[in-house]
Order: sequence, then C-alpha cells, then structure tokens
Amino acid sequence: MSTKPRVSSALPGEPPHLLSVLAHQPEIARTFGELYGAFWDSDELGARTKEIARMRNARVTECGFCRNVRFDKAVGEGLAEDTVDDITDDYPTSGRLSDAEKAALRFTDALIHDPALLDRRARPALEKAFTPPQIAELGLGVSLFFALAKALITMGLEPETMTRTVLPTPRVPVPAE
Amino acid sequence: MSGPIAEALAARPDLAERYADFRSATHTAFGEKRTTMVRQVIAQVHGCPIPDGTPPDPDLADWRSSSRFTCGERAWLAYAERIPFEHTAIADDEAEAVVAELGEAGYVAFSLVAALADAECRAAMVDLPSLTKG
Repeated sequence: MSTKPRVSSALPGEPPHLLSVLAHQPEIARTFGELYGAFWDSDELGARTKEIARMRNARVTECGFCRNVRFDKAVGEGLAEDTVDDITDDYPTSGRLSDAEKAALRFTDALIHDPALLDRRARPALEKAFTPPQIAELGLGVSLFFALAKALITMGLEPETMTRTVLPTPRVPVPAE
Repeated sequence: MSGPIAEALAARPDLAERYADFRSATHTAFGEKRTTMVRQVIAQVHGCPIPDGTPPDPDLADWRSSSRFTCGERAWLAYAERIPFEHTAIADDEAEAVVAELGEAGYVAFSLVAALADAECRAAMVDLPSLTKG
C-alpha cells in the first residue's frame, strides 16, 4: 500500500489529505460535506453504533487513517477504547458490545466482505435490533465508510504513522452569510 | 436515481436527496459515459449485474480483446478492476498512468466513482433495499 500521495492538494498550504484532494472537484467536495454531515448529524441511529461500524470497516479495509480517528460524538456516547479493541474477528464473544452492536457488525462484515454472513439468523437479528430507517442509515454509512477508505488508500493518502486522534464529528456545513 | 443504496434510502428521504446529489456530482465530474464503463467492469469483477440495471456493453465484457478502447481508457479500466479486491496492491506506476490520462481532478472523480461502484455492488449483494422496507 502506498503512503505517497498520488494526487496533490488543491488547497494552498495544505498537505494532501481527503478534503484538500477533494477540493480538486468543488461540487463533489460540497455534496460530500452535506451528505456526510447529515449522516453524522442524524440521531436516528446513534453515533456510537455508527462509529463501531466505521471501526470494523477500518480494520477490514486496512485503512490506517480511519482506524486512528475517533469522532467526538461517539466518544461522548460512551465509546471507550476497550470496546474498540473488541472489534476484532472475535467481536461475537465481546462482553462490551451489545447484541444490537454485534448485529450491526455482522451486517457491516456482510456488506464489505462476505454477503453470505447475512444468513437466516443474522438477518432477523438485524431487523430485531434496528428499524428500517435505522438500517437504511447504517447501510448508507457502511457504504460510505467503505468507499472513502478505498479512495483514501488508492489515492495514496494513508499516513505513514498516526496517533489516535479525536476529531470533531462531521456536521452539515453552515452556509456563509 | 436507482441502485441499492438509493432504493434503501427511500426509508430516509432526508439522506436520500443528499446521497443522490453526491453520487450525481461524482458521475458528472467523471462523465456519464466513463462512469457507466467503470460501473460495468466493477460489477463484472463481482460477478453481479450493474446495480442500477443499466444494460451491459458487450464490448466491455472482454475489453482487453476489443480494439475499441484507447490506451488511456485501458489504463483506468484495468485500475478500476483492481478496486474490489486488490485496492492495497495498486502500484504507483499504475496510478501515475491514470493520473496522466485523466489529470488530477479527473483522477479524484474516477477514484470516487470506482469506490462508490464497488460499495453499490456489495450493497446489492446483501439486498440492502429488502432490509429497509419494513
């Protein structure tokens, strides 16, 4: 995997990272900001559940940036590092993840890795844990996490090293007055 | 707009419009014709139909044998095929060839189109819309 950026920053003075690279395409950057902000602003599905799914995606896609970022809204909802440490292949046996969170993780694995995992037990477990609007939000989130991780990795935007970093959770941009 | 994610978001109209806008922006930036080509080759890697139901172009089924495609198109078609299962193995020289063909802005749009196409195939394979119908 290359950590040498394959595209330059479009923002003067900024190194290449996702947002500075997206700036090569302002309309893509704008609509992405609106979408991702709306997704994280929504409380239909809790931020903790969304972050747990994002952590699983990070591990499976080998996105180091994704793995080291924590969004503050999820941290505020009680997502601690010992719980994140449980999001390995052994997550079904975790005592820190709820049954709903495990159902979300199984769905995440099915979508990003192996559709056969959403089997005759996993599908009803997901439907029991979450409403259709919540599943729609989770499905969008996992799809975006997966696509963004792939874009980051293939554009060479993975950092060589990175410490764990808590970032403000994306929000819908407020229009400038 | 169709496809498994758009259909699933019928249960969330607040997110549906924003997803449609984002996806449309990526397709417009890369060009609809090229976007359709990328979506087809990625669906072929997955062994699934193109998720939005677009009829496949028969020349793309075996594009390497077709004389229809330019060297530049072959570079990004080959790169797109690597996205689903070989995304960490794409070499710098492969990326450089695509950037040389598309320019940096085009490469950014292409990267997102390909990544979203891969995600949409996977969403189709778990039948995401069926989970959101209630």
